[in-house]
Amino acid sequence: MEQSLAQLSITEAAKKMQAGEITSVDLTRACLVEIQKRNASLNAYLEVFDDAEERAKAADARRAQGESGALLGIPLAIKDNILIEGRVASASSKMLENYTATYDATVIKKLKDAGVVFLGRTNMDEFALGGSTENSAFGVTKNPRDERRVAGGTSGGSAAAVAAHMALGALGSDTGGSVRNPASFCGVVGLKPTYGAVSRMGLMAAVSSFDQVGPLTKTVADAELLFEALRGQDPLDSTSAPSNQYAKRTLRKKIGVPRHLLAEGVDAGVRAAFDQTLAEMEKQGFEVVEVTLPSLSFALAAYYITNFAEVSSNLSRFDGVRYGLSQKGDSLFADYAKSRGEGFGAEARRRIMLGTYVLSAGYYDAYYGKATAARAQLTAELSAVLESVDAIATPTMPSPAFVIGEKSDPLSMYVADIFTVTANLTGNPAISVPMREVSAGEAKLPVGIQFIAAHGDESALFALGAVVESISTVRSE
Amino acid sequence: MISREEIEHLASLARIELREGEVESLQKDITDILAYVGQVESVVGGAAEPVLPMHHNVLRADTLRASDDQLAGKEAPVRAAFPKQENGYNVVRKIIQKDE
Repeated sequence: MEQSLAQLSITEAAKKMQAGEITSVDLTRACLVEIQKRNASLNAYLEVFDDAEERAKAADARRAQGESGALLGIPLAIKDNILIEGRVASASSKMLENYTATYDATVIKKLKDAGVVFLGRTNMDEFALGGSTENSAFGVTKNPRDERRVAGGTSGGSAAAVAAHMALGALGSDTGGSVRNPASFCGVVGLKPTYGAVSRMGLMAAVSSFDQVGPLTKTVADAELLFEALRGQDPLDSTSAPSNQYAKRTLRKKIGVPRHLLAEGVDAGVRAAFDQTLAEMEKQGFEVVEVTLPSLSFALAAYYITNFAEVSSNLSRFDGVRYGLSQKGDSLFADYAKSRGEGFGAEARRRIMLGTYVLSAGYYDAYYGKATAARAQLTAELSAVLESVDAIATPTMPSPAFVIGEKSDPLSMYVADIFTVTANLTGNPAISVPMREVSAGEAKLPVGIQFIAAHGDESALFALGAVVESISTVRSE
Repeated sequence: MISREEIEHLASLARIELREGEVESLQKDITDILAYVGQVESVVGGAAEPVLPMHHNVLRADTLRASDDQLAGKEAPVRAAFPKQENGYNVVRKIIQKDE
């Protein structure tokens, strides 16, 4: 690819705009050119907004008036489950195909105030249920590195848009790895903030005790920049919390590795990349120690039980009565059943059924009750381990991006979330940073390393991420 | 394996009309998935004390919401999303009917 302004990081672009070398209109046009070239085959954007250039002009005008924010005039992509007033927000579902958002999500309001240019809305697994963007009602998103492969999910469109320079950065949401998984598969940085750090007002709820909005970016510095812009308690989201409730920590340069979790099921190339990266970090003065988290063996099961339960509750609001797809049957019951049967895709229907099962009287204690206990125990274990290390490190995903259609059995898709779900179960912040490229068939694919830090300690993630970035051999497209 | 009747009952509880052949595929998938997540059966002990950031009580002042947040004045678009409306009201099916 010829040098394009779209290849800049947010930080670089902001500097150039402030120096008067380029304008937001230049940047936005450069992204639109890349979208024109690649989106038809990648299917990262479901819709490209027709007012992007207009917004860029407005940002340039604000700068001319003396404003100088770091996000002023930066073109970003937004996941399709985050509301932008007046825009369709479909969560990649037939249910909301024609739904227009009636208000701005708080994160969108913040970005609008900062002068961000929204390029469009990006593809995802329907209602954020999946791990590959194959569950979108509007077609799979392909991996920019190898179009036979998935971009990951559920924020696959956002990750692919950033990796293919169709945006300088993007917003995703992370329920069980939905920002970090596609970040790993596409070779970009993905952050899941501490539970409660970022407002979810205007983010469509998937699993309310897991969901967080997070940035997907080309660099760790950009992720930090966006996180700082997004964070903060919001009176409209009672699960958001002030950041000062956590004790401040200083970096110990010590990383914990739960080797017992890596013993099986990890691709050999990913394992080697992970070991090499840690060895490099040791050369830079980091101490790597083994840690044991006994409850990790229950993490996936506890995660999925909780996921099914909350998904079935959250998706019960889609009934065809107030908004969304509405089908008529010959009774009220039939109206509901038809609207929901036609509106939801196969994975959403499956999870609603499973959630209904695990929450039914007679099974509740055996599934949801036990999952809640496992979750609390894991949270306590992780907090204890994080007393002595800065972060827990694992590969982000057990494999590089897989081939589209390869994981047709739902359980095999779930098992790929083994490393990412922990941070959602426990509410800890986690980041995925590209570490190395590994061979998969004829392709060379990027893979990410994940760090999980103590609650409220995103700064440790940025510090560790920057070190990985300095030794990473992943090159951008 | 979970029975056909159980799947149909779940679908009814969840208000979902299943598609052709879906009962059979759900019988298999749900059986496999429940067997996998059922490993939580061997979790010993209950939940520990609630931990931040997930569990904390949140109250707000009992006052009118600020009129300058992003939800203010959005009645019209909310109404516009109603599947069927009359004079700004959402038209819904009659729910209470006389038993014959």
